[in-house]
Amino acid sequence: MGEFAKRHQSPWPIIVCFALNFSKVVALLSPIDFLFYLFAGFTLAAGVGVITARNPVYSVFFLIAAFLNAAALFLLAGAEFLAFILIIVYLGAVAVLFLFVVMMLDINLATVRAGFVRYLPIAAVVGGIFAAQLIIMLLIWQQSETPPTLNALGNSPMNQPNNVYALGRVLYTDYFVAFQTAGIILLIAMIGAIVLTLRPRAGIKTQVISQQVSRKSSQSVRLVDLKLGQTHPTTAATAPTEPQEGSA
Amino acid sequence: MLATYLPILVFILLATGLAGGIIVASLLVAPRAPDKEKLSPYECGFEPFDDARRKFDIRFYLVAILFIIFDLEVAFLFPWAVSLNTTGVAGLLSMLMFLGVLTIGFVYEWKKGALEWH
Amino acid sequence: MIYPPAVSSAHFAILSALLFALAMAGLFLNRKNLIVMLMCVELMLLAVNLMFVGFSAQWQNLTGQIMAMFVLTVAAAEAAIGLAILVVYFRNRHTIAVDDLNSLQG
Repeated sequence: MGEFAKRHQSPWPIIVCFALNFSKVVALLSPIDFLFYLFAGFTLAAGVGVITARNPVYSVFFLIAAFLNAAALFLLAGAEFLAFILIIVYLGAVAVLFLFVVMMLDINLATVRAGFVRYLPIAAVVGGIFAAQLIIMLLIWQQSETPPTLNALGNSPMNQPNNVYALGRVLYTDYFVAFQTAGIILLIAMIGAIVLTLRPRAGIKTQVISQQVSRKSSQSVRLVDLKLGQTHPTTAATAPTEPQEGSA
Repeated sequence: MLATYLPILVFILLATGLAGGIIVASLLVAPRAPDKEKLSPYECGFEPFDDARRKFDIRFYLVAILFIIFDLEVAFLFPWAVSLNTTGVAGLLSMLMFLGVLTIGFVYEWKKGALEWH
Repeated sequence: MIYPPAVSSAHFAILSALLFALAMAGLFLNRKNLIVMLMCVELMLLAVNLMFVGFSAQWQNLTGQIMAMFVLTVAAAEAAIGLAILVVYFRNRHTIAVDDLNSLQG
């Protein structure tokens, strides 16, 4: 691609050249750089999928894809433990929770999508402005620094002897307050979820095993002497009561 | 470190390639005769009464929430278990406090009957 | 030759900014669907985590990763409580549009 780009100073030929020689550019990337661009592209594509999917179930699956690719990016940056926590907690639990809720509510898909086109311009404008602001800020900030390339980050000194050990060394002592706060936040989440969603159910019969086991034969079995063809007056009128079945 | 994940990458590439290959092959090879009746729900000779989607019970959701909380708790236990020989007593007490706080929540949900499945 | 720049923490930062802006646009797009709005909040927190991890790698400092862990914790708690509120809201009003959250307007 060199000849064409050297003769022109305007950026457009370079961009066209870049597009034409995409495969050559990819070949120039180091494998780790290639993986970064691959996973970053997938993450953003999955993000677009989350916000534009017609069915909320598809949104959840795109969210799962975004989290998986983000976990791969975490691995590239040397955050091994976080990558697997992301997979275990987010893919294993949070995404399932979202799926439950989507399945639990019978949502009318037509009304959910209403207003999508109407809000599209303002969403594009706000998102675009926000992205532009962040990127301009980052580019200006970056000029005074030369960040290390990602190739050096895989075996970084902060992760000695390994990432999980290095995290554990500081997490429980140096970050004691934050750690306990996380515990309290989890407690509040647990209590809040129970308070919000747990409803006492009326009219259910529960099995009380201790009552069932401690039942005597005298309470439940009755010997009645009957003549042939005769019906006992009490058994014919009412069924025998069962004392072990109380309401909850 | 990243080299140890190479097998996973190879696995992902193989799985993606295989899945994509099978989808493309089925698009190319399989006979297709689209018909409106093939897409309509079949319900033994009469029109379907309602949507095939069933609503889940809310109790599944409560169990899922409690699972998330304890999942995160376990996630915090991993680095603690690995590094306990350097953090020592301080780390042990810190984790005991953390677990104590979550045990309060566990006792609460037990008493409220959130774990009962009736 | 045109080299694409070698990947550094700046790439993580820009990816994070793009993802955050995308999620923000999603908040505006899905005004009728509270579930997808909650998913957008999760995406925003993921973007924040990407930023934390990228800068943790740049400065060779584990604080970023530890903060990312706490963000994950808070995000999971937020998802649990947010979805619980959503379920209660749907049970009472039979809608999940934020436009209908106007009972307090009198």
